[in-house]
Amino acid sequence: MIQVRSLSKSFGKIEAVKDVSFNIEKGEIFGILGPNGAGKSTIVNILNTLLRADSGDVVIDGINTRDDGKKIKLIMGVVPQEISLYEELTAYENLMFWGGLYRIPKAELKENALKTLDFVDLLNRKDDRINTFSGGMKRRINIACSLLHKPRILILDEPTVGVDPQNRNHIFEVIGRLNDGGMTIIYTTHYLEEAERFCDTISIIDMGRIIARGTLKELRKISDAKDLITVKLAGSDCDTVERIKSENPSVVYDIHTNTIKVECDNIVRDIPAIINRIQNSGGVIERIHTRGTSLESIYLKLTGKELRD
Amino acid sequence: MLHLFIKDLRLFFKDRKAVILAFLLPIILIILFAMAYGSLGNTDGRSEPVKLLVSDLDKTGISSTIVNRLDSLAEIKTVPADSAKARELVVRGKYACAMLIHKGFGDSLRTGSLVPVVLIYDRSREIEIGIVYQGLSGIMASSAGNIVIEENLRKYILERFPFIGSSMGESILGDAMKIGTEKPFIAMKSVVAEKNDVRLGLVQAVAGTAILMLLFSVAGIGTSILEEKENGTINRLLYSPLKGSTILYSKMLFAFFISIVQLSVMFIFAWLSMGLDLGVNLPGLALMIISTSIAVSSLGIFLAAIAKTRQQAQNLSTITILVMSALGGSMIPLFIMPAILQKMAVLSINYWAIQGFYDLFWRQLPLAQIMPEMLVLVISGLLISLVSVRLFKSRIMRM
Repeated sequence: MIQVRSLSKSFGKIEAVKDVSFNIEKGEIFGILGPNGAGKSTIVNILNTLLRADSGDVVIDGINTRDDGKKIKLIMGVVPQEISLYEELTAYENLMFWGGLYRIPKAELKENALKTLDFVDLLNRKDDRINTFSGGMKRRINIACSLLHKPRILILDEPTVGVDPQNRNHIFEVIGRLNDGGMTIIYTTHYLEEAERFCDTISIIDMGRIIARGTLKELRKISDAKDLITVKLAGSDCDTVERIKSENPSVVYDIHTNTIKVECDNIVRDIPAIINRIQNSGGVIERIHTRGTSLESIYLKLTGKELRD
Repeated sequence: MLHLFIKDLRLFFKDRKAVILAFLLPIILIILFAMAYGSLGNTDGRSEPVKLLVSDLDKTGISSTIVNRLDSLAEIKTVPADSAKARELVVRGKYACAMLIHKGFGDSLRTGSLVPVVLIYDRSREIEIGIVYQGLSGIMASSAGNIVIEENLRKYILERFPFIGSSMGESILGDAMKIGTEKPFIAMKSVVAEKNDVRLGLVQAVAGTAILMLLFSVAGIGTSILEEKENGTINRLLYSPLKGSTILYSKMLFAFFISIVQLSVMFIFAWLSMGLDLGVNLPGLALMIISTSIAVSSLGIFLAAIAKTRQQAQNLSTITILVMSALGGSMIPLFIMPAILQKMAVLSINYWAIQGFYDLFWRQLPLAQIMPEMLVLVISGLLISLVSVRLFKSRIMRM
């Protein structure tokens, strides 16, 4: 559906995107994960033909974006990061306006607007002004405004920023239903759990480069990230810690929190042996915390920094 | 483009503040300015005569005649007062001036010696003093001469023809004094705004205020582009198949439309409530409104185009509009400004628009003679628009 080849874009001396390539299949949810300023929005804007790449090509549904930008815009919907709505207009008026930009016949547009409002569960608020809506409701209208021309590809640029958990779930549900309907979705986020929850394929982007790409399983393999067991000890002396460390060479001890961190390939399989070794070395366990391989640990492994950096 | 225009129109009328700024506030200001400029260009002079305190210490027939003649002028109303009280009232600002006619005034006229009349005044009230001085000079020049002639003639008649008696003598004297005084020495004829009873003050108030407020309205429209840039709607518009230039042209069209509506409403209001005769040259009025709207709307967009942020645009607009309006005659009528400022005024849009409306309503010139003002407005508007489009394309629409 989408082929991106050796894409590069600079703004002055700043290289925002460097030699980026990826493919997106029809009906896939493709996640672009990276911190703010990593180059996510630049890629989105190039895909949407709003920006012209310095080099490289984007082919969408067989059309090179350099050849027919208008056609690309007709098959693509973009949900911007900001709530880009006219606050003084009602929800229905906003939908009619944004949909009207795609030259949809009025009767069809009216029908689409009502159906879309129903789809995002806001039909009962159709005549209320946007400035009376909560942040989450605005986000849903923000998505709805990009659906009226029935795009085959939908780009969601950080659609859950500043949204409470309840509304976030509502948005996830909407996105899930859109994907179930066969829509290809490109989802940019800096929330790891969102990418982990949703995306069939994830591209991790850092400083304009894609540093890893694949399913969560593939990324785990690429990064060699492991599960983590954290054990808090109940008052132990130096000798005990030394004994534990000699028994378990991979152990990392944090003197400030009095905790031991052990990496393993499989928590369920490895945890009994680890507990035994600590107790046999004289350690008294106060609490155990486990964490499976997450996108966060993969990101940390790949970039050497946490995503909030 | 029409789709965007309708959206802007809908947003405009949903924004009460914008509507008040565009229509109600200008109407209030027009009323206030019309009252302030009320006397300018009136056919019957001031709406209220200047009150002149008079302290007549001479108390002769001649001094009474002078006072009565002053009082008969439409521009002046005399108020008797003693000299100390008159001085105090002027100092306290209750009156602009007072005339003190000292003892011996009548005799001095007969003898041709220095006339003991003093006009004391508050020099901050130049206009009223000017009116009094003008009236007083005229009365004194004509009356003093008449009084001297009358006194000499009376003396001559009674000495040369003692047999005719004093009543006959006075009768002959009266007839003789009428000769040559029935017609004014200088015939004055106003040649401007004679067809209709037009008040210059009203034209000034409507045109000046309407253009000033119009500039604020269109600057607001221009600033809304930056607002849309900041809240992301411009980017979202660019995600659609629309061209960037279409977004800009729709804003310009909207600013132009609002300008036409606002100016038309102001003139219709002045016609309905203040009697400004719009029928004096309807095609001319329509063309002046269109030309002014082109120039003003392009300036509003330009001010937004050169600013980087909405706040910057708002500050820049306020300063530019106020300076240009003060200079161009929107706030103070141009003809009472110093010559240097009158020359500098040509740099402002307000000047050309106000002059055009003066030509239309006050001077009542034919369309061809108002064309220069219209051309300046249209050409400057088009040039400013071109620059604005370039600036917007390179700065605002860039991602």
